[in-house]
Amino acid sequence: MSKTHFDREHHVKKATDVGDPQCFKGEAGPAKFKVGDRVRVRDLPSLFYSRTMVYTRGAECTIAELVYESPPAEDEAWDNCDNPEWFYSVIFHQKDLWPEYPEAYADDTLETELSERWLEAV
Amino acid sequence: MAEKHKAAPMVDEISDFEVLEIAVRELAIEKGLFTAEDHQLWSEYMETVGPLPAARLVAKAWLDPEFKKLAVTDGVKASLEVGINWITDMPSHFGTPSDYCNLRVMEDTPTLKHVVVCTLCSCYPRPILGQSPEWYRTPNYRRRIVRWPRQVLSEFGLTLPEEVEVRVEDSNQKSRFIVLPVRPEGTEGWSEDQLAEIVTRDCLIGVAVPKPGKTATDKRPVHPAINPVDH
Repeated sequence: MSKTHFDREHHVKKATDVGDPQCFKGEAGPAKFKVGDRVRVRDLPSLFYSRTMVYTRGAECTIAELVYESPPAEDEAWDNCDNPEWFYSVIFHQKDLWPEYPEAYADDTLETELSERWLEAV
Repeated sequence: MAEKHKAAPMVDEISDFEVLEIAVRELAIEKGLFTAEDHQLWSEYMETVGPLPAARLVAKAWLDPEFKKLAVTDGVKASLEVGINWITDMPSHFGTPSDYCNLRVMEDTPTLKHVVVCTLCSCYPRPILGQSPEWYRTPNYRRRIVRWPRQVLSEFGLTLPEEVEVRVEDSNQKSRFIVLPVRPEGTEGWSEDQLAEIVTRDCLIGVAVPKPGKTATDKRPVHPAINPVDH
């Protein structure tokens, strides 16, 4: 990014009357995963900023929905909207997040959203 | 007037974050980004936003299967029918970082119960639900609901049987969530207004389920003080 003049209002101009994440629709290219795919959350380094919770790292989950396209939080925190990604709603079994989760409630789940860079096929 | 009852200050210190907010606000006013009047208008506006539109949305969905389908697939579009425009209205407007414009309505079934949290800090569907309750923002709730959801729900008075799957929604990206609870028994033939009354804020976050007779405007219990102040 060798912009000589950085437009601090670029996001406002883009999102006004369109909405965010709606304003990034169609910018992420083809999605890598589809509903029903089993994936694992990557344990990437997250310097400075991330929204990928530590408790999800390394755990396996299922893609429940392709929710929207958006720059990942790690980029957006620095006002970088150059590389939007697909965001997925994923569902974990609580057992896979917390080993001590009671067996009696083995069906309990947790759903959250992650961007594509954080997921790898199992 | 008895000397022994010396009033203690209600708040004896403010947090670092409050200091930071005041500093940033005053700088912004000095720099001309907004005026003190703008700030007051906004603050007052935010206090008028509440959970009634979301309660109305749930009541409509209970009565109209077509509307329910729309709510579950496109929460932003469904919100228009209860007077909330996520895209153009305050407080979300063009998508300030704390209020993105993607609403997901999570439908409970007799065997599936959703409950919403933001472990990141306090993501909350403010345009349709107003300001989040204080407990929603506490580390206590945020840490424990993802790990021990059944215990935390029990503390709210909601004990769920084994055969009901509890699904925690950790809302920390750009979607905001409300829960569409199961319509309770004993509400047959009710009007939309009657139904909307029993859909309280807690039902919409998912820490309670609607019950006939239980509304947000219930009378609060009042107990006489044990050691009343003499005045």
